[in-house]
Amino acid sequence: MVFNSYTFIVFFAVVLGLHSLPLAWRTKKIILLLASYLFYALWNPPFILLLWLSTVVDFYMARLIGEEERPLRRKLLLTVSLVLNLGMLSYFKYGGFLLDNFTALLSAMGIAFQAAQPDIILPVGISFYTFVTLSYTLDVYRRKFAPEPSFLNFALFVTFFPHLVAGPIVRPEDLIPQFETPRRATAQQLSWGLFLLSLGLFMKVTVADGLLADTADLIFSLPFPVQTLDAWMGVLAFSSQIFCDFAGYSTCAIGVSLCLGFVLPDNFRYPYAAMGFQDFWRRWHITLSTWLRDYLYIPLGGNRKGPVRTYVNLMVTMLIGGLWHGASWTFVVWGALHGLFLCAERLIRQGLANRQAAVSIADGAVISRASVVPASLAAPLARFGLVLLTLFLVNITWVFFRAPTFDGAMLLLLSMFGLISNGPPMLTNTALLTVGVVTVGLVGCHWLMRNTSVAEQAKRLPWWVLSAGWAGLLLLVVLSQKSSSSFIYFQF
Amino acid sequence: MNTPNYAKSAWLALGLVLAFVAGWELYWRSQHLPIGYNDDESMWASKRRQVYESSPTRPVLIGSSRIKFDLDQGTWARITGEKPIQLSMDGTSPRPVLTDLGNDPNFKGTLIIDVTEMLFFAPDGSFPEKDAIKRVKAYPTWSLSQQASFQINRLLESGLLFLDDRNLALGPLLNLLPLPARPGTWSGPQFPREFFVVDQNRQSIMTPAFVADTALQNKVKGVWLDVGAHSPPNAVTGPALQAILDATKRSVKQIRARGGQVLFLRTPSDGVMRAAENKLYPRAQYWDRLLAYTQAPGIYFEDYPALTRFSCPEWSHLTPADAVQFTEDLIPIVARKTGWPLGEPLSAMLSQSIPTCR
Repeated sequence: MVFNSYTFIVFFAVVLGLHSLPLAWRTKKIILLLASYLFYALWNPPFILLLWLSTVVDFYMARLIGEEERPLRRKLLLTVSLVLNLGMLSYFKYGGFLLDNFTALLSAMGIAFQAAQPDIILPVGISFYTFVTLSYTLDVYRRKFAPEPSFLNFALFVTFFPHLVAGPIVRPEDLIPQFETPRRATAQQLSWGLFLLSLGLFMKVTVADGLLADTADLIFSLPFPVQTLDAWMGVLAFSSQIFCDFAGYSTCAIGVSLCLGFVLPDNFRYPYAAMGFQDFWRRWHITLSTWLRDYLYIPLGGNRKGPVRTYVNLMVTMLIGGLWHGASWTFVVWGALHGLFLCAERLIRQGLANRQAAVSIADGAVISRASVVPASLAAPLARFGLVLLTLFLVNITWVFFRAPTFDGAMLLLLSMFGLISNGPPMLTNTALLTVGVVTVGLVGCHWLMRNTSVAEQAKRLPWWVLSAGWAGLLLLVVLSQKSSSSFIYFQF
Repeated sequence: MNTPNYAKSAWLALGLVLAFVAGWELYWRSQHLPIGYNDDESMWASKRRQVYESSPTRPVLIGSSRIKFDLDQGTWARITGEKPIQLSMDGTSPRPVLTDLGNDPNFKGTLIIDVTEMLFFAPDGSFPEKDAIKRVKAYPTWSLSQQASFQINRLLESGLLFLDDRNLALGPLLNLLPLPARPGTWSGPQFPREFFVVDQNRQSIMTPAFVADTALQNKVKGVWLDVGAHSPPNAVTGPALQAILDATKRSVKQIRARGGQVLFLRTPSDGVMRAAENKLYPRAQYWDRLLAYTQAPGIYFEDYPALTRFSCPEWSHLTPADAVQFTEDLIPIVARKTGWPLGEPLSAMLSQSIPTCR
């Protein structure tokens, strides 16, 4: 079930109604759990078995890990959980990819091998709920989180429908404690949750699907080069589309959850106003980037094992982050580019910090902490320039993320930089205007909002202005009429 | 800073939305547009699911827009007792759907393939196949949730005019912005709103306003000229044509091997459109070759006096009244040509010969 469907409106109204009844807290949680299974099963009922398997195994493995004191046994139990979760993910998500690459490798070695094409359907949200359950087992293993005694609480933590299929990727401490005591949204929470749901739907239905999807789909599907303007507008269309699609989903999820009285973590913080890639990953898909940091980058050694290992760890983390998004080498390249940009930024920051420290010492100044941002970059115009540079580079990476093949990506990049000049114009003036307005509006909005939040801004507005804006969002959703189309991140 | 009162904001926002939607709906009703259904992926999938119930009296129809206008499903049902299953798509080649049905081991039914040459003979993977490929690919993942949404959607669309996705959604409204055309680009065919509506069986029906207004009809003729100007100047020939014929033959053979039946149908066209079709796709090189190569029966409207007496107001499709007559005239020809048992009243007709022009 997707948030932008009539089915969800009916489903949510029923769940909200049941959740408001004067029932025992345990009964309400059972209702939420059953509703979550229904939410998931309405895609493809058999895949609910995988969800159950993951839930049951991780619940009991974590319990055994919690009770076990012998290090080797604890490691063994953790390995069982990791093998099961990552095994399922690998089979369903990477099975075809691995087989293709194996075949290609044999072929390169001169061995003719034709494998039967596996007919594997990717279960919706498997990447997300696998990371959710893994974080629980790993936290219990590290003794950061005590094993949850209630199976109901744990099952609801894994399956809670707002975050189940596309995040935010919740941690045990984010959600499990919220299931321990009765919760019901206040009128304020309910209203604000509905506002967030409206905002998320506007981002997804109106902006991503209604205004941008066709342009991005057209440009990325062409087998021939296009004019530079068209190439850039296609990439910018996708850039805004993927943000509005994914951040729209997260906003809906947070809103829906709040309507039920539960708080989910933020997943986006105006990423297109990021100054540099470090800043970008603190603002884009925050729950994934912090997951990768805590469960991959830091265990690999993080920045504690010298500069070379730091850069290697960064690259490994970003390559795996790329592969998490999809079983294709284009995603690996996308991750690699982000890794390279992060490494380059780290080098530059380090260089600037060293130089500034040297200058300050030469001046005889007492330095308590070397600033990583030089004074020349403190001016708003320079900062905005840095934002635009970051956005430019992020857009380059999006080409690999969206293009179906390397050839397609290269063709588009060559068109973007005018290296192929004989491409035809493809986009109409209406499409160009639409993408232009959305891009400028989105970047402007991110720039203005980069240090604040929607909630803070809403508090400053007179109530009737908020109403007018809210009504505007809903009307545009109604007018867009693009119901039921899937979210891009479901495929991940 | 104000103490926020979100509940108050919510109620006012709801009031504003309801007021606007009511006004919007009333405005479009005052324009006398008939209510129709969105002919989207879900609507198509709902019909795709029915193909296993197909029979000669309930054939599956695949093709382009012509058979959606020209074959009146109500008339077909009145005579044969059952409604066809309409899987045709506007402006789209039926070949991806034919391939899909050919590859579906459970499809053993009856298939009528509408041939609009410039779409049917479009090369593999070309633009006219895009929508069909998308729908065929999406069908196996048509989820229970989408099916439920489709039912709710249908209920709403049956009563609300403003839910007309083709004409009144944000995208089509943005296309009305008075922007100059960018040289070298084309925004695709822009039909007048009054051209047609689609009913819940995917039957396309010209609106009364369109049938009555020659200015609107001329507008659509202009659109066809525009489409022609943006289409490839030459028809597919050589190996590309042979590939199309091979693929078609393979699918027809697959369906027949399972006990299914296939009939090709060429519906009427008129005026400049007809002249262009004759010039680009001479019958002997395309239609006749298609039938000979696939060894399947076919009905070409020009071969039967009963089917040649219609004129298309915009060169390509029949009016609702003519569609009724065309269907009444077509059924005995189909029965005669194929031997399909298409209803009791036809038994007498089957014993008589149908006049032909050739």
